Amino acid sequence: MEGNNEPIDAAMQKTASQQNQDPVAPYDTESKSRKAVDKPIKISIIIPTSAYFMSGLRDFTMNIVRNMTGFSEQWAFRFQSVVDELVNNAIEFGSAPGTDVKITFLSQKGKNIEIFVEDTGTGPNKKTAMEMASYVEERKYMDPTKITTIRGRGLSQIVANWTDLLEFKNNPNGGLTVHVAKFLENAEQK
Amino acid sequence: MAEVQINFQDLNIGGKTVKLISFTGQLDETNVDEEAKKIYKVIDEMPNPNLLLDFSELTYINSKAIGYVTDWYSRSAVKNGKIVIAKPQPNILDILKVVGITQIINIFNGIDEAKQVFSGAEEAVPSAKLKTK
Repeated sequence: MEGNNEPIDAAMQKTASQQNQDPVAPYDTESKSRKAVDKPIKISIIIPTSAYFMSGLRDFTMNIVRNMTGFSEQWAFRFQSVVDELVNNAIEFGSAPGTDVKITFLSQKGKNIEIFVEDTGTGPNKKTAMEMASYVEERKYMDPTKITTIRGRGLSQIVANWTDLLEFKNNPNGGLTVHVAKFLENAEQK
Repeated sequence: MAEVQINFQDLNIGGKTVKLISFTGQLDETNVDEEAKKIYKVIDEMPNPNLLLDFSELTYINSKAIGYVTDWYSRSAVKNGKIVIAKPQPNILDILKVVGITQIINIFNGIDEAKQVFSGAEEAVPSAKLKTK
């Protein structure tokens, strides 16, 4: 764990507790407890456009997946990579230094996990949703032994192979949101 | 920021010099470009770059770092050298498999096993089917 984990964890914990708050009543019955468990969990965090925060983000992703989604340890490691690759792309292409990247985790425990990574569209190498989708489509089925470049394995090999859904959306503000989803029943088959 | 430590050790295996390169920590966007230079320097300096990459203490690797590993492999091969990987942790092996590196580079679950590749006893059978979990 690096020293930079603190601000991210603190921000995330705050958001998580806000999401789970029930303003009406505490969970004082078994049925309410059950309801609380089944409620989808949504956690959003915003990090500055810098890879410096990635290590802390990976640790947090690991904790979320281990403790809140029902996915296995192996998938917790896999989602670490998925988030890392998506956010690195957002930093490299979508958000200029001095702006932010927003990451949202959404999970129905025991069923699925969804991750949204949103950039500001201010990066010098920004891509449209169409360009990104074409890029992935072109490379997804490539023989991996034929990829000779240093870059180019993140989205098309790691993210595409470890998710059931990978889609790109143009945002009204000019940015891009990458949305991935994985269903637990499919994860158990791999 | 992620931290990684890379240690180098010369081994003499069957009269060949083999560089044992041990990675400890995480290779990610924040450090991989700088750390990769150290490996390129070794490849440049060795007449036949034979490298044994010990991944036993490597806890994270991103796609760019994997790209570098394949590039080191290609550059070593051009100079009649060889690169093998030893003892990856399950999550590291899992990601190496998903990007297809296990089809290119031999991976062994022990250092001694990996050393045999360089001893002239071709071909040590790689633990290609190491389990990821």
